[in-house]
Amino acid sequence: MNAFLSGTQVILSLELRQRVRGTAWYVLLGIFVVLVAIVTILLSIALTGFGVMGSGDAGGNIYSAIIYFVLLLGTLVAPALSGNAINGDRDAGTLATTQVTLVTTGQIVVGKFLAAWITALAFLAASVPFLIYAWLVGGLSVTSIVVSIVVLAIELGIVAAIGVGLSGIITRPLISIVATYLAVATLSVGTLIAFSLGGFAVQSTVVSTSSYGMTYSDSGEPLGCSPATTSTYETPRFDYLWGILVANPYVVLADAVPTSYDQAGNPQDLFGYIKYGVRTAQVTPDLTVEYDECTEGVGGYMDQGPTAQETIDSTVPGWFVGLAIQTLLGAGALVGAWARTRTPAGKLPTGSRIA
Amino acid sequence: MNSSQSLADGIVVEHVSRSFGQVHAVRDASLVAVPGKVTALIGPNGSGKTTLMLMLASLLRPDGGTIRIGGHDPLADPAAVRAALGWMPDVLGSWNALTVRATLEMTGRLYRMDRAAAAARAADLLSTVGLAELADQPTRVLSRGQKQRLSLGRALVHNPAVLLLDEPASGLDPVARVELRQLVRRVAAEGKTVLVSSHVLAELDEMADTAVYLDRGVSASAESIAQTKTTLRTWRIRSSAPAALLAALGAARIGPETIVADRGELLVPLTGEGAAAALLAELVTAGVPISTFAPAVGDLEHTFLDLSKGNS
Repeated sequence: MNAFLSGTQVILSLELRQRVRGTAWYVLLGIFVVLVAIVTILLSIALTGFGVMGSGDAGGNIYSAIIYFVLLLGTLVAPALSGNAINGDRDAGTLATTQVTLVTTGQIVVGKFLAAWITALAFLAASVPFLIYAWLVGGLSVTSIVVSIVVLAIELGIVAAIGVGLSGIITRPLISIVATYLAVATLSVGTLIAFSLGGFAVQSTVVSTSSYGMTYSDSGEPLGCSPATTSTYETPRFDYLWGILVANPYVVLADAVPTSYDQAGNPQDLFGYIKYGVRTAQVTPDLTVEYDECTEGVGGYMDQGPTAQETIDSTVPGWFVGLAIQTLLGAGALVGAWARTRTPAGKLPTGSRIA
Repeated sequence: MNSSQSLADGIVVEHVSRSFGQVHAVRDASLVAVPGKVTALIGPNGSGKTTLMLMLASLLRPDGGTIRIGGHDPLADPAAVRAALGWMPDVLGSWNALTVRATLEMTGRLYRMDRAAAAARAADLLSTVGLAELADQPTRVLSRGQKQRLSLGRALVHNPAVLLLDEPASGLDPVARVELRQLVRRVAAEGKTVLVSSHVLAELDEMADTAVYLDRGVSASAESIAQTKTTLRTWRIRSSAPAALLAALGAARIGPETIVADRGELLVPLTGEGAAAALLAELVTAGVPISTFAPAVGDLEHTFLDLSKGNS
């Protein structure tokens, strides 16, 4: 184990020195910091306009927006940094000369993965000053901060693993980088599209029976009601499909972070609202709606549903399932890369050279 | 050192084959390279030299046959083979953000040396391969020839018993070629096994002790190589008295139609070394002043051309 680690560490330091260290990379990091700063300033101004600033909610909202922004930029940058880790070296003629030394293919793959992950984490580290600012503005529990940072770090690691893995499985660097972007897009956007389109494809018929007042008393109470009329309409069945959203990194992040509520049971940050939205999808829609003004009273159909807090408490968290699926995806890509890069090589993909 | 020992320390390849889909890159290659000698691997472009080198370097799995590097099988025990083997690929790649020194140090670390040992070895090698002045330059600024030398240095980092050099002299200027030759001879003199591939035969002629011929993936047998020793070969003869030389050649019953004049020298086809020695004795006895009497093409080239002729 120790021998494995020391070889991996040599590959890691080699990768960090060879791939990462360069002016271009620092420029990228600088641009990232500027973008986060702009987002933070704009959010602060906007929230002051809404009168939220200083009310405790502001910190939570700024914080969750920054974390989301880091996740967005991280998942945009990480594929470019990791998606050619292995096949790029083969193209540059440095992979084979590494493979004839005493490091194993496993050490090469793991070392490159760790290097890509650490590189992505640098973006998280660069956003720390802004996270501290959001924390100072207030409204956040320490648990929320720790959980969101840990989940974000894991998400960046998963993107790095997919990138390094695909760079070992696919021969051409450009294609593997694009494939990594597509994988990230599938998780981030594809799940949303599948969820919403699927919801409309799988619909159920709601039978609505209603009866309204014919005459009213002076105080507005209905005295006699009409015979019940029945109407039907279609409703999407998101409750069958909420599992798709579980694999979405943004949902995983929102779902994992413990939510704090205000007195009305509303979430106090962006994570909470997204969690509420996702959890609502789990609720089975009522397929027989009955309304009788004489028994329920006027406006009874406008009855307040459960609060966000009640909805979240009564539904199932799915973030760990999502994380497990994503981890499996990343680990599978790394194992595939290892199998494809092993030497002495048996089958080679057509058109590829070992050195 | 007896012969079984030397075989165990060198390279032994028996009936190795490897194909890529429909392309049979190596069909049936056998060779022996012994310690203390430089063995040349000769073949035209596309003859399977690099594929064979990759199999020897434990990077490519042979479809059939056996390989032993220092007694180890690259399939069963790649780590032992890699510890014993230095490989200089025909593709020039370097970590372009690292300095020359850092490249050698990193390579040492990849061979499980500790930091201090890797640094000491890198300092040694920098002067061995003549890159000391460029030690702290990033490798991307190196010229092609300098990259070749760095590649050679990388192959020598762990002081391997077996050295595989794939086209080591391509892109080198004449001075660097001489230095390379001296370095390779020195490495062999230390008792190491050196296998050098090239298609520049003149260069191998100066460097190699023995040769293995590879054509369309098949290595030539010892018999067919021996046969080439007795085939017709052109000799180059120079004399300050061309007329006397021509007359003497006529007297030696060499048909004037077979003799070609080339830049003040005569090219004469002869059958084998024995015939050449006999002719030289005859010319000297006849009192013809001879200043050059040598094969027109190198040994390796003659054998190589003759073998390719026989196969086609």
